[in-house]
Amino acid sequence: MSNAPFFRISLAILAWIGIGFLVFPVLITALASFNDPFFIELPPKSYSLRWYAAIADIHRIGEAVFWSLLIGIVSASIATVLGLGAALAIARHPLPGKAALTTFLLSPITIPMVAIGIALVQFFIALDIAFTWWSIAIGHIVLVIAYPVRTLLASLTLSNTSLEDAAASLGASRLMTFRRVTLPQLKPGLVSGFLFAFLISFDNYPISVFLVRGEITTMPIEVFNHISNNFDPTPAAFSTLYIVIVSLIICAAEWRYRIISLSLPKS
Amino acid sequence: MADAACRQELAPLTTPTQVKRYLPLLGQGARWRAFGPATLLIAPLLIFLLGFYVIPMTSMLAQSFSWWSGDAEADGRATLYQYAKTLNSSRAMGAIERTFRISLFSVVFCILLSYPIALWLVTARRFVRTLVLVITFVSLAASLIVRNYGWLIVLSNTGPVNGLLVALGIVEFPLQLTYNESAIIVALVHYGMPFMILPIYGSLLRIPPALWEASFSLGAGTARTLWCIVFPLSVPGIFGGTILVFAVSMSAFVTPLMLGSPSTAMASQVAAEQMLVQLNFAWGSAIIITLTVATVLLVWAYALLIRRMFRVNV
Repeated sequence: MSNAPFFRISLAILAWIGIGFLVFPVLITALASFNDPFFIELPPKSYSLRWYAAIADIHRIGEAVFWSLLIGIVSASIATVLGLGAALAIARHPLPGKAALTTFLLSPITIPMVAIGIALVQFFIALDIAFTWWSIAIGHIVLVIAYPVRTLLASLTLSNTSLEDAAASLGASRLMTFRRVTLPQLKPGLVSGFLFAFLISFDNYPISVFLVRGEITTMPIEVFNHISNNFDPTPAAFSTLYIVIVSLIICAAEWRYRIISLSLPKS
Repeated sequence: MADAACRQELAPLTTPTQVKRYLPLLGQGARWRAFGPATLLIAPLLIFLLGFYVIPMTSMLAQSFSWWSGDAEADGRATLYQYAKTLNSSRAMGAIERTFRISLFSVVFCILLSYPIALWLVTARRFVRTLVLVITFVSLAASLIVRNYGWLIVLSNTGPVNGLLVALGIVEFPLQLTYNESAIIVALVHYGMPFMILPIYGSLLRIPPALWEASFSLGAGTARTLWCIVFPLSVPGIFGGTILVFAVSMSAFVTPLMLGSPSTAMASQVAAEQMLVQLNFAWGSAIIITLTVATVLLVWAYALLIRRMFRVNV
């Protein structure tokens, strides 16, 4: 890298402008959440934590969070297990048409989400299983499947096959080798794949808006409705809380499993 | 015994080309033995996706060739009616055109903002680098609704941007910054940046430091090294990021809903409105399929162009 001071300084300035752009709305939201009056003033003239208490008053927020958690955990778990099988098949076994298969498995990311939602709701209505929590979870598996497939393929490519050969030659059965050698090496991929699948599902609006009716509701739908109908700072408090929780989860996963290095393409 | 020998023989084979070389020598049973374990591992996911992804998407495609009860003049003609209607409708075509324009702008601004971050990360100290990468990851994982809401506050009449403009005396009264195309582009750039930073950073990391040194020692300046060495080698990263940002912008739904107005409706919104409000599934399907096909064709043409221009395999 160049040592020219002009270059270094201008690059650092440009980079910090970009990082500032990324962080700015989050900081402003946090500041707005401590506003006391009903209408947001920046900077706040008087501070209060009452909008954090008001989060509980968002319409149906309790059951919405419950359903979102349930649907997120179920769909992320199933997607991770199905993705593990597929990633193992693609990375460790001979199989014809691997490139095409990988493209197909990653394709739900690039298809408009509204298209997936519309296609699924018509299909579910035809099968008479629409608007149940598990049909929403099925929709979310399609939505998130690309994330565990991608992170697991990355960690399988990084992991060391000679360790597996060593275990096998020392007399371990295939199951034993998988459980004691392969799986521990895949932990970062599993954690990061599950985490992203869960967070993407937990936050989804464009697919859920088609699949959710009546008894069941999800967090993004209720928060979106609240923002559309109210101007109070409650969503700011909710947003701040959400970002803090997500940051803690990401930091913990990075500290424990080094998930970030996995998402940098290596090929 | 023969089985065991065969398994031993096939064990080190990992690539399909290697297996293909052996297949003619082996019978049908051996073919199963070679591909069997992989088939069993991948089958559950493929069956799931066939049932809940391929079939629903195909039936939506079929739906787009049918007609809606309100299309009186189309009765009996199961054809390209909905596609002709899409091409003739100023609302649908206007929305598709606007979607392209917005996506193009958000890709360009994303590259301009993300490239310096990625390049700077390569040289940054470890702690700062981890910090910025964590910020990028949190942005990626934080709720889209939450992030759009942040822009709603930042760009509002009483928000910091208007506050600054008024304080500096650039404008007398706060400007209407939300509910227009620029607000959508700003929020989409914010949404897309993590998708751009990570692949570019990944491709820059793979450039050996020796290349920088070689370029400098041969007398090239910083600008020349960046333009002739670093930039061409980071093209695969830019390409990957561009595809992702373009795809998420093309299918944007929540962002224009929150930061746009009915007159800035994007394609997904117009299609959703046809289905949810008019219950016109046929036309809605045709609009969304037109959008998807156009996106795929554009991405494909772009990949071809990049391959020709930079002679890289992307």
